[in-house]
Amino acid sequence: MENITNAITLVPLNHYILLSSIIFFIGIIGVLTRRNAIIVFMSIELMLNAVNLLLTAFSAYRGDAAGQVFVFFIMAVAAAEVAVGLAIIVMIYRNNNSIDIDLLNKLKN
Amino acid sequence: MLLLEQLPVNYAPVAFQFFVAVGFVVVTMLATHLIGPKRKTSDKLTPFESGVEVQGNARHPMSVKYFLVAILFVLFDVEVIFMYPWAVNFRELGILGMLEMFTFMIFLLLGFIYIIKKGALNWE
Amino acid sequence: MSSIIIIAITAIVVLYLGLYKVKSALLPVSVLGLLGAAASLVCVWDKNISYFNDMLVFNNYAIAFSILLIATTILIFLLSGNYFEKISSNVAEYYTILLFALSGGVVMVSFQNMSMLFIGIEILSVSMYIMAGIKKTDSASNEAALKYFLMGSFATGILLFGIALIYGATGSFNLVQIAGKASEQPLLFYAGVIFMLIAMTFKVGVAPFHFWTPDVYQGAPTLVSSFMSTVVKTAGFAAFLRLFGSAFTSVPAIWTVTLVVMVVLTLLIGNITAAFQQNVKRMLAYSSISHAGYMLIAILLLGQASPNAILIYSVAYSIASVASFGVMVAVKEQKGSDDLSAFNGLGRTNPVLAFVMTVALCSLGGIPLTAGFFGKFYIFGVAIAANYTWLIAIAVLMAAVGIYYYFKVIIAMYLRESENSESIQLSLAYKFVLIFCIMITILLGIAPALITNIL
Repeated sequence: MENITNAITLVPLNHYILLSSIIFFIGIIGVLTRRNAIIVFMSIELMLNAVNLLLTAFSAYRGDAAGQVFVFFIMAVAAAEVAVGLAIIVMIYRNNNSIDIDLLNKLKN
Repeated sequence: MLLLEQLPVNYAPVAFQFFVAVGFVVVTMLATHLIGPKRKTSDKLTPFESGVEVQGNARHPMSVKYFLVAILFVLFDVEVIFMYPWAVNFRELGILGMLEMFTFMIFLLLGFIYIIKKGALNWE
Repeated sequence: MSSIIIIAITAIVVLYLGLYKVKSALLPVSVLGLLGAAASLVCVWDKNISYFNDMLVFNNYAIAFSILLIATTILIFLLSGNYFEKISSNVAEYYTILLFALSGGVVMVSFQNMSMLFIGIEILSVSMYIMAGIKKTDSASNEAALKYFLMGSFATGILLFGIALIYGATGSFNLVQIAGKASEQPLLFYAGVIFMLIAMTFKVGVAPFHFWTPDVYQGAPTLVSSFMSTVVKTAGFAAFLRLFGSAFTSVPAIWTVTLVVMVVLTLLIGNITAAFQQNVKRMLAYSSISHAGYMLIAILLLGQASPNAILIYSVAYSIASVASFGVMVAVKEQKGSDDLSAFNGLGRTNPVLAFVMTVALCSLGGIPLTAGFFGKFYIFGVAIAANYTWLIAIAVLMAAVGIYYYFKVIIAMYLRESENSESIQLSLAYKFVLIFCIMITILLGIAPALITNIL
């Protein structure tokens, strides 16, 4: 544990912030531009993992375990979200034979 | 500091072994390819399936049953991460921590019993 | 805390009752469990108990909002009757999921630590993703579920990034400690606040992040939409106010401008778009966006009166929404449509339903002698105290637009002729809920002092 925390702090904190921000924004761009529901979903997971990385880095730098515990919660909740999300996507695929989100415009007037 | 100091020198044997392994594979494949005889018939070009005739495409859709089991696996699998910190601090948390973890596990177990009763894991 | 445990255990008991085919016990057990949860909350009034190293703090603010959430859920459950049975045979699961959603809502209004905020929001949202899509073969319901899911988890990602930045700036997830260390690393902290602001406005459906709301409300089954527009929205706003009111009080300047723009946009978009809708359900969806705009005024101008104003507004809005959605469910069941024309002549064929709808819409529109009037009154009071007169002018103008489209329905009910003159048969529980909502609405409209000084 000590070794890992020390190893994390060998890289400057700013680099972690920058890396996480970049991954996070790659995720956001994926959500906004991709049309396949699964890929949009993967982009959202990318955003969550960027947050996990950031929290771990902050936690190691501050020597406070709370950030890492929060990462546990994010992982567990993300798994629940994955289960529900994939179930919804399968349901849509069964009815439409497609998971292109552009097809989902029947509710507009 | 430990991790970085290890990087350049200590990994040299590993890298060497890696190159030897890859080199051996590449050399053997090239050699058999160049030296060996070639007879192409339609039977030889079909994938080998233990002598059984090949039927259909390998990339047909998976049964949704796999999907259900996979999702349930992910759910129960991930909950284990809450048990690691508890197991590491088992003595410090004492009897109260154990009761709390048991409550958590009972909730999981109730969900699992529900899944079994509902027949979600019945394959047929 | 005991209320959360009671709700969660009730949910599991209901799930297992459904497993052993005790259909008739589902509703009574759920309602009893909820009454028990509410009673356990009343017992700890004024005691300010905190649990698990200040993860949750049940102060009066949390208790009042929790009781409101539980009461609204009870009313919606009583309305459900055999609504879910018509959709599929898995009735117990629907009650269970709504109960779990409610427990998430209670966590959201009582959190003192960011991790509890996140978990509460997720319990609530993930349950609602499922509920939006419970009509498995209906393409509108499917579409609503996927849109809600993608937008909701996108917002969650943004929320988490905000939380991570604030943790980086202050080294804590606790609201009180965050408030004390706000100025240590201003850049990280302000960036985090902005991210959290975006995520929370996403979750409560405020413009410009409102675009998923009408589609989801329209596509989801009507009772689920009523749950979304009452419980989910109230919990969202209570959490929003709790977060900004206790953790970010020292930095209001950076979000004031952003929020003012959001309030004006929300009021304009919500009300003006609602005026053009021909479908009553979609109209109510847009009107719920506009109500979010009014409630946002109280968060924008944080003050002593804000919690009270939000509470009164949520009570009035929740009860009137339950009544109007209830009438809509009954009308749709008979006529097969929730367009404006389905309400034609309702005043003659079903005078009770039409009266309930009229009072509920008047309350939503903010007409005096109904609870909705005092909801708007106290919100505007907050704004006047902060010298935002021009904002009040816009809000009042938009309230007038609101009255216009609410009266379109009332006019259709009383002045238009209907094709068939059959009256709609309602169960006893259904009538009870509708009459109860109307009585509370009128009672609070005449004697608002009953709840104005609670907080």
